[in-house]
Amino acid sequence: MAEVLIADDSEFMRNLLREILEENHTIVGEVENGVEAVEVFKEQQPDLVMMDIVMPIRDGIEATDEIKNTDPSANVIMCTSVGQEEKMKEAVKAGADGYITKPFQKPSVMEAIQDVVPS
Amino acid sequence: MKVDVKSLDTFNQLAHEGAQEATRSMAQMTGIDAAVDVTRISLIDRADVGEELGSGEFVGVQFGFEGALSGETVLIFEDDQTTEIVEALMPGASDDENMAQSAIQEIGNIMMSGFIDGWAEHLEARIDHTPPGYIEGTSEAILPDDPDVGDHDEVFVFRSEIQWEGESVTFFIYMLPEYEPMAQLMSEYAETGEDAIPIEKLAVFNKMTRQGTEKAAENVQQMSGIETEAEVSQISFVPIEDVPKQFDEKLYVGTVVEFTGVPSGFLLVLFDEASAVTVAEALMPVEMESEGLTEQHKMAIEELGNIMTSGFVDGWANVLQQTVEHTPPTVVHDMGQSIIDPLAAQLGQFQRHAFVIDSQMKTDEVAFQSEIHALPNEQELREALETLDVDRADQTEADHIF
Repeated sequence: MAEVLIADDSEFMRNLLREILEENHTIVGEVENGVEAVEVFKEQQPDLVMMDIVMPIRDGIEATDEIKNTDPSANVIMCTSVGQEEKMKEAVKAGADGYITKPFQKPSVMEAIQDVVPS
Repeated sequence: MKVDVKSLDTFNQLAHEGAQEATRSMAQMTGIDAAVDVTRISLIDRADVGEELGSGEFVGVQFGFEGALSGETVLIFEDDQTTEIVEALMPGASDDENMAQSAIQEIGNIMMSGFIDGWAEHLEARIDHTPPGYIEGTSEAILPDDPDVGDHDEVFVFRSEIQWEGESVTFFIYMLPEYEPMAQLMSEYAETGEDAIPIEKLAVFNKMTRQGTEKAAENVQQMSGIETEAEVSQISFVPIEDVPKQFDEKLYVGTVVEFTGVPSGFLLVLFDEASAVTVAEALMPVEMESEGLTEQHKMAIEELGNIMTSGFVDGWANVLQQTVEHTPPTVVHDMGQSIIDPLAAQLGQFQRHAFVIDSQMKTDEVAFQSEIHALPNEQELREALETLDVDRADQTEADHIF
């Protein structure tokens, strides 16, 4: 079971992701912004981070950049409502391994995770 | 053909003065004070004209006009206000159907003659109009058939609201000119300075807005299972102080975000309270026990608003090949005017007029209606339109990068 950190400022969305993931994965933390995402990543070293982009204090792309600088083998899937091409390019540049656009269904989440962290 | 803020302002002012002239005529006839509440010019998809009239029954008068401008115009009001209006004009006449109809025709004739004469005077040209025709109908069906728009998908609509002071009587004036003469006239009034916008780019932007609304509706459907359709998309031009008047006093629940980039501005996703509860409950995995709007409902609305906002602005960003960032959503629960007022005030520090982008979506399946309103920085919207490549207008989806 892969260990997953969920970073999203929406409690609603964190709940939804937890429900989708907890059957096959271990949720090691849920955080609300990019600063907390980096901190918890460093503490827990999860196998995967599900990272929102638009978050207060520090956004998901900056947080991904720092996580990847800390640990280039870290796996990060952007999980966001933003479907802008330029933003996706920024995510790639920051080192994101996958990109899911909200709203999503369980199969698309599982497929993206399987691509990044094969079981 | 190009328009600029000056020409749009001139024509908005012209329609406003025409409506004021119509109001004065009515006050002379009835002794009732009234005021012109709102006037706006919109560029709107032909099929969407009059959607804001809802499902009510209306009566009024219709005129054709031709000369310096050609087209159709109507003055209408809700059918259940007929008695009040007829009694103000001619006490006792409301019991006689023919007399009531004649009274309406006459007040319409006098008001609309004032309206059209105001235009002719300003344009220093002749505009003839047909005799008034009495009309009645349900919602937008009461409005004239499409004017001649040639190859264009959009129509220009001038819309004014006249409110009787202290009464719940509202008159609506719709003027639908033929596209080409109107565009030509507006471009003649435009200065060829750097703020001029090609009219076709405004039309393209309107199409992008329509696609953004469709995407937002698709997002609602995917998340909630409620089959949702995009209903209206329009771009309107109004003085900044009139922006709050575009909103009614109904209570809304929704989200506000500030977006940055070119253009920057504000974007609101709003639901009436009943729709907010309906859609929030459809998003929840478990059935809610409480009645009415709770914090849990608001939390769901916050995320839905966030996703709808992205669906709406991503298309702009992809067509413009730019990034449009937005802040996390702030949940609002207030009257429409109270929500928009501080946002308009903030933009009002930098601009006298605003382009307001309005969209609406609804479903017949359950009682559900949602509105999206964008209030971009006027100067930046013009810059964005300047760089808009019309040939990329349908490229609202991001290329596959992952």
